[in-house]
Formats: sequence, structure tokens, C-alpha cells
Amino acid sequence: MITLNVNGQAKEVDVDPATPILWVVRENLKMTGTKFGCGVALCGACTVHLDGKPVRSCSTPVFEADGKAITTIEGLAEEDGTFSKVQQAWVDQQVAQCGYCQSGQIMSATALLKNNPNPSDEQIDAAMAGNICRCGTYVRIRKAIKTAAGTSSETQEA
Amino acid sequence: MADTKTSEAAPKKGKWTRRAFIGAGVVAGGALVVGVAVRPGNPIDRLSPMLAKGKGEQLINAWVKIDADNIVTAIIPHVEMGQGIFTSLAQMLADELDADWSKVKILEAPADAKYVSHDIGREFLAPSLEVPAILEPTVGGTFLQLATAMNLQITGGSFSIRGTGQRAMRVAGAAAKEMLIAAAAEDWKVPAGELRAENSMIIHDKSSKSAPFADFAAAAAEQGLPNKPKLKSPKDYKLMGKTIARTDIPEKSNGAAIFGIDADLPGMKYAAVKAAPVVGATVESINADTAKTMPGVLQILNMGDFIAVVADGYWQAEQALGTIEAKYSKTEGDALDQDALFARYATMLDEAGDKDGDVETEEGDVGEAFASAATKVEAEYKVPFLAHATMEPMNCTAWVRDGKCDVWSGHQAPLMARKAAADTLGIDMDDVTYHNAYLGGGFGRRSETDVIIMATRIAKAAKYPVKMIWSREEDTMQDHYRPSATSRFQGGLDKDGKAVSWSNIHTHLFDPQEAPTVPYYNIANHKIRKIDVPTHLRFGPWRSVDHSQHGYFIESFVDEMAHAAGKDGYAFRRELLAGSARHLKVLDKAAEMAGWDKPLPEGHGRGIAFVPSFGTIVAEVAEVDMTGKKPKVKKIYVAADPGFAVNPDGFAAQMESSIAYGLTATLYGEISVKDGAVQQSNFHDYPILRINEMPEVEVEIINGDHKRLGGAGEPGLPPLAPAVTNAIFAATGNRVRELPLSKVNFA
Amino acid sequence: MKAVFRASAPVLVIALGACGSDPAPEPTEQIVVREPGQDGSDAAAAAPAEEATDSLVAAGKAAFNTCVACHVVDDSGINRIGPNLYGVIGRAAGSVDGFKYSDAMTSSGITWTKEELDNYLANPAAKVPGTTMMAGAISDAGRREAIIAYIEDASAN
Repeated sequence: MITLNVNGQAKEVDVDPATPILWVVRENLKMTGTKFGCGVALCGACTVHLDGKPVRSCSTPVFEADGKAITTIEGLAEEDGTFSKVQQAWVDQQVAQCGYCQSGQIMSATALLKNNPNPSDEQIDAAMAGNICRCGTYVRIRKAIKTAAGTSSETQEA
Repeated sequence: MADTKTSEAAPKKGKWTRRAFIGAGVVAGGALVVGVAVRPGNPIDRLSPMLAKGKGEQLINAWVKIDADNIVTAIIPHVEMGQGIFTSLAQMLADELDADWSKVKILEAPADAKYVSHDIGREFLAPSLEVPAILEPTVGGTFLQLATAMNLQITGGSFSIRGTGQRAMRVAGAAAKEMLIAAAAEDWKVPAGELRAENSMIIHDKSSKSAPFADFAAAAAEQGLPNKPKLKSPKDYKLMGKTIARTDIPEKSNGAAIFGIDADLPGMKYAAVKAAPVVGATVESINADTAKTMPGVLQILNMGDFIAVVADGYWQAEQALGTIEAKYSKTEGDALDQDALFARYATMLDEAGDKDGDVETEEGDVGEAFASAATKVEAEYKVPFLAHATMEPMNCTAWVRDGKCDVWSGHQAPLMARKAAADTLGIDMDDVTYHNAYLGGGFGRRSETDVIIMATRIAKAAKYPVKMIWSREEDTMQDHYRPSATSRFQGGLDKDGKAVSWSNIHTHLFDPQEAPTVPYYNIANHKIRKIDVPTHLRFGPWRSVDHSQHGYFIESFVDEMAHAAGKDGYAFRRELLAGSARHLKVLDKAAEMAGWDKPLPEGHGRGIAFVPSFGTIVAEVAEVDMTGKKPKVKKIYVAADPGFAVNPDGFAAQMESSIAYGLTATLYGEISVKDGAVQQSNFHDYPILRINEMPEVEVEIINGDHKRLGGAGEPGLPPLAPAVTNAIFAATGNRVRELPLSKVNFA
Repeated sequence: MKAVFRASAPVLVIALGACGSDPAPEPTEQIVVREPGQDGSDAAAAAPAEEATDSLVAAGKAAFNTCVACHVVDDSGINRIGPNLYGVIGRAAGSVDGFKYSDAMTSSGITWTKEELDNYLANPAAKVPGTTMMAGAISDAGRREAIIAYIEDASAN
């Protein structure tokens, strides 16, 4: 048994410690917001946070999460479902198309803004270059990150 | 309750007729349900293997439901793969119905023939079907047409709004409104003409009376069906033409959206698969000695054409699969390499010469016109195979038990998926329930049924629910590819630099048939031919299908002709489009947006391209910076005339999306074959455009004809590659005749 | 644990994607290791991922499983998604022939000493901002030491 801290809750799972976090979250914990895209950390669809830092969960064994806090896309909104600033910006800018990569995009953007509340265009591109979007929502991702960075409380309205 | 008008002219090939049948009935809870089945005039769709066996009960393709809480549910007969179609189609229906948008719900139509036909469809189909004498003048051609209507369950071809939206969703909304008004008129004992609908209420202005739709839903269902519901004219649109937030975006922003890969069943296990690397080869033998001992492994299957490992978890299955050694049979395909393939194209094009090959279009005498032309231009272009690379790898979950089967996936043609599962098991379609989910990208890939068949076969062998997921490697190596192709042109210019002849021969033609043709360009003599060069790699429709390569071929060659004529690419196209005001307007708009005549910095170039496709006219101007080692696409200006944009922001999003998809292909896209097998495997060798390479995009929409709408999902793509390569030529004088650009050394 | 071999049916390969009316062929070989929920599965599932060992190199080899999706350590000259790590210790960063590195890696100026590797593996993105190695951060110092020992050992063979 491995005890994990996922979105602030303790979870016990019976898995091989080498299992990537992605599959533990999706299959054992039944939280499917985190997506499988490439399996080798090339696309970013599986991005989660470990102690607030973005990691590619498809290539990070679950033992790496020992003693750390895992945050997934399901853990960003408030308990009543109110979207985080970044999530709300994603809705405001109508970012998602097929939506498959967007959990990873939002996790990367959230981590970026936490470290750098006012990123430049180049910093946005650099921080988000690990996340592929096949629908090409990049123009809107840039806008949404700026929306989230530039506004505060008023974007919290659902 | 069919339209009995008999004088309608026979539908012209390639056009849809505008009439529709309408049916209504009451379902559980007293809700009013209106279904509309449109009748296509051109019952040809090569995509559907179900066509010939078309059953009437599958005709229904669109529904509206009004429940006791006055919620209007638009049941959408298309799948959501990022194009925003759930919202746009609901907008069309709700507008005609005068529904309160805040009380509109969206439901994807089930791929369930029984529900569609027996419960509701037969209510209006049966009388017609049982009375052929009446049927004949009204349905004309009947079964083929009914089967074609069933085809509308395919989401593709940028078809949904211009086809289903126009002919079904709007008609369904308008019909429901008329029926509600008729029911209210009876109840209130006032003439129907004095009633109107607004915000999901029926209103009688004279008496200031009003009541919600729900009050009349049951009675409305008893009303006679309007033969020709009156559709709104654009001045009365309340929702159509407005940017409305997509209803699926919130759940795609918090992880709640369920895709095919997210299916979850009690007792479900996971399968990893590996197909024979060369398509058509068989797995002759496997050595699974290590795999058998690995944790979590339940079964190891040699399915003949692929290997599957079923395990408690997907990662365990994948790990075990990786240890299996396999021997594959030899096939003819083993000999094929990419260079040899292009050489084969060249040989066959040479053999076709000036005369052979299938003539697609011909007008005038190109031989004579070219021979006597003052300036002759010739060029050959090549493009590689392309994979779709949807972000969600191919997957399907199936559960076969007791002679029945349930299938979960995200598919562009749910009924075809259902039929594929039934055929795989040799059981009736009625014994298969297909459950569709959001598609993590479609682009044509998810119209193939290979994954459905594979998962069903595995589940049958396992006897418990199995979720099969392809690795990214399988997804890349076992796609149904956009074909590699070669296209050769000869063009003639007279002494004034006017185009007088256009001759083209190219490999392959799949769809749409008009992709290689240029009817909008005013060139007196033209002849376009194709030759078929079969390969063992599987063809699949890839976003914009044949337009994806022909847009590049045609618009590159137009640019070459312009250069040979000593004319600017924009001015030259203006001449070719003379006389077609609507086309010219789009071209002019793109040039104006880009400031065509304004100087650019040294080493930068501007290119223009113009491609009408899927009913939408698109011109794009690309600005490219060639001062670095690699081309840097700075900005794309898009002018597009889709007739009428139902959801302008959604339309713009599709233009942005097509540009990213097209730019990936232009810069990097290449699937190559060695010893018969695809060489690329993941995003390191099949790279996808990343955010730091995404140009700025500016879109302007021209609503040029509200009666004939065009598509949105694909038409933005074909002009992209040639706009970029034409810009590279403008900046460097380097004419790119083979994609992708990563093969070209610009240093 | 049991292995069941079903008699091979004649192989009839259907074209993938075809919608034939004949049912699809059965497996030509079906090895049932166990049925879901059977005992014995747990024994396999519970098998330790890493065998207990007191050898640093052996521990490193096991820990390197995290890396094998992208890297090999052999003298084949073959690069996978990541560069071949054969002989990486002492080598200049971004110098394996035929591998397309990120600009960040090529221009990092790093020479891969054990210390530098340890530093990098602890947090690749922090050590070389812009690296395309988006995974592989290993927080446990002992594990990093073992992996580096394994790479060194494998490179000596």
C-alpha cells in the first residue's frame, strides 16, 4: 500500500511503486481528468503538480510522490465548484476545442502564473511549449493566460 | 405525414433538396418530441458501408424535446470533437423555435436504431413506407435516400451546419414552434395567427396572455405536422449569427468531460496492443515467456493481425507487451520504401504522358493552347503521407456477453461503429449498444472502425469488459494516412501574361471529387487527370481530405504562373477571378487585412493563397520571417466567406485550428515508409506545432449568402501551406515544391 | 498460474477497418495467465518492482526503468526519444551525433560530471531551462546516485 496525498486528500493505493502517477490517478483513483497522450513526456496532456511544480505524470513513477502533494485538474476549483482564475480565463477566452489536452494546459498555466504572475509573451511560450494542442488553441491559450494574470477577483464569477 | 408536393424537379447531382419530413410523438413524461429527417438529393456517400442495407428506422437524425420544466433539449445527431457543433446546431434549432437559450439543453443523439425508429420514427415513416403510391412522389428514390439520410450520422466533411443544421435542426425548431402555437390556439380559442413565441413562451399580445411551451407540449404532439415550417429570414435571427459561449467548454476546463478513453466499467481490464508493423502482415508466432510472468497480466493474445496483452492496469499491459517477441509474415508491402514509392508515382505519371489517366475535367484544348502559349510553365510537387495524431490516442472499450455487446468510444460515425461491432461478432445490430463520448480530436481518423473491431475481438476472447488503448507509437504507425502524392502541372500564358491553359495530372483521388479542380479560375483551356497508384498503406480522410494536398499544389502553381507572367500573386489571382464578385471580395479582403502593398522588413515575405472548399471560400496571407535558420511564420490573415457564420467566434476558432493543423503539416508533417513499415512513432519524430511556433491569426468573416452555408472545420486548412511557401518564395526566391519544410535547407 | 493454449484456428486476416459480414477471426493463440480476481494474481502483482540488492549498480539498473522509455545505455549508437547515454559521464552536453537537442541543451556549456548529472536529474528544467527532457526528475538522492553508477558501469562494458 502506498499512501498518496491527492488534491488534499489521503488516498491508499495498492500498486507497483514504479507505476506512473498517470495510471494510478486514472485507473486506481478513477480521476480521469488527467490524460494519456504520448507516454514519454513529449505532449504534456498528463501534466499534474507535485508540490506545486508541473510534472509529466506519464513518466513520473508514483514513488516520486511519496511525501508530496499531488494536484490534478480536479483539484483546481474550489470545493463548491467555483473555477480557479486560470480555469475561468479558459472559459472566458473559449479556449477548449476537443478539450483533450486542456487539463494539461491548465495545469502548466497554473504553475506558470504561480511562479510568475505577470509573464511576458516569450515567457508564456517558453512555459507552455511542452504542452501540445492538436486543435491549435494556442492563440487563445496565450490570451487566457494574460486574462488570468491581468485580472483577479472579478474573474472568479462563475 | 409527408410533404405531398409533387412538382419538385429531380434533385440535381451534388445538391441537397430542401424539403424535409417531419415527425412528432409523445415520449415518456409528456414531452413533445419532433424529429426531422432530411432527404438528400444526392444519395452518394462512399464512406458508409451501411448504405446499401439502409433501414428506414435509421432515418431520423435530429430531435427536439420539450419537457415539463420548459427545458428545450436539442438532440444533436453529430459528435463533438472540438468543432463546437453541439452549441452551433442547438443555436440553429433554438433560434427557429424561439427558445430561451438559458433553458436549452444539449444531448447527443444515441446510435440506437431501435430508439430512433420504433418509438418515434415509425410514427411518421410507417404510413409512407406502407403506402408506396403516396411514398413515391414524396420520397422519390426511397430506400437509397433513406440510407443516405442515415449517413448523416457521420460527422465530417464540414457538413454539420450546412447540411444538418440548415435542413434538419432549423426545420425541427420551426416545426415545433408551429405545433406549439397551434396547440395554444386551440386551448385559448384564438387564431394561431395572433400568437407568437418568445423565450420559450407562447404569447397572445391582444389579451396579454402568455404561457410556457411546456403547457402545450403534449397537445402540440397531437397536432398535424406542418408540411413546410416557415424558417426565419436573417433579420429575425436571435441566436444565429451571434457568438455564443460553447456549452462544452466548462467541463473541458475542470477535467469533468468524459472522452472515449475515460470509459469505466465494473471489473474492467486493460489491453495494450501491437499490430504487425507492415499492414497486411500476420503475426506468425509470439514468444511471451517473459510477459506471462509479469505482474498484473491476465491474458496474452495473438489475434492473427495484432498482439494484445490484457492486464489489471494499462501500464502493466504495456510493459508486458514490450517484452513479447513476434515473428511476422512476409508481404508484398515489405519491399516498399518512400523513395521507391515516389519513383513509382513518377514512372506511372510518365507512362500516362499527355493523354492517359482518368480525365476529371476538361474544357477547350489544352494541347493546342499550351503549344501556342507565349510562356510555358511546368512544375512538379510532392507531399508525404500524414498521420492524424489526435491527442487522444485511439481507444475503445467493449464488453461482450450473453450474445450481446456494449461498446464505448468516441467515434465520428456512431452507427458505423455499432455495425462494425455487430459484424465482428456476427450478431444483430440490435444486440449492440454503442456509447459515444467526446472525441479527443477526430480530423477524420475517428471515422475508421479498426479500433472498434479490435476491441470487440479482444473483449470477446476475454469475456469481461476490456479497455483497449493504443500507445502513441501504435497510433502513429497504424493510422489511415493522408496519402503521399505527386502532382504535375503545365500552364500556358499568352503574351500579355494571361493564363490560357492549365493542365494537371496527379496521383490518387479520394474526396471531395472537386479538390483538384479550379472552376473558379477563369482559364479557357483546362484538363485535369489522375492516376491511381495503390499502396498497402491505408488511406483515411485527413482534415480537408484531398484539398489538403491540392490546395498546396494548385496555389503553388498559380504563384509560379504569376511569377512567370511577371505579375504579383495577388494581382494575378484577381485576373483569374474576374467576373466572380463573391470570390474576389474574399481575396481582396485578405490582401487588405495584410496590407499587401506595404513593405516588409528585409528577409521577410508575404504569400497569398485562395481555396474554396466545403462550401466556404477562404483566402489567406502568410507573413514569414526567413532571416533565421528556419522559416518563422509570423502572422496569418484569413478572410473567409462561409455564406453565413452561425457562431462567428466558433468559426474563427476553426480557422485558427486549421492553421495550426496545416502549419504542422507544412513545417514538419511526414510519415515515411521503410521496408513497408512506418518509420515515425511518437512526437519526437512526428512533431506537432507548439505554442512558440504558433503565428498570430487574424480572421475576418464575410457573410456572402445566408441561403447556402459552407463548412468551418476544414476550409481554413488548404490555403495555409501554399500561403506560407509562396511567402518563402517572396522572401528568398526559393520555390518549395516538396513538403514538409523541415526537409529544405534554407541556410 | 496456468497457461491455456487454444487450438489454432485457421488464420483469416481481415483488413483492419473493413466491415465484412463474416464474424472476425478468433485469436490464433490465447494464453490465459489467470482470470480476474483469481488468487496468484496478487502474488504476481505484489512482486516487488525492485529486487532487494546491496549492489549500487544493480539498484541503479532497476531505478533506470524510469528512464528506459526514452534512453538506452549501449554502444549501438542508437538514440531513442532521448540521446544514448553510453559514455555520458565526462561528455559535453548536447554532443551525441545524430540527436536533435534543444537549443537550451546545446548551448548549456555543461560537461557531464557525476555532480552535474546528479544536479540535473534532481530537477532537469531548473538546471537547463528549456530542455526538452520534460520528465525524469528524481527527488531521491540515493536513487540518483544509483542511476549514475549504473550508467557509468554500463558505459564501461
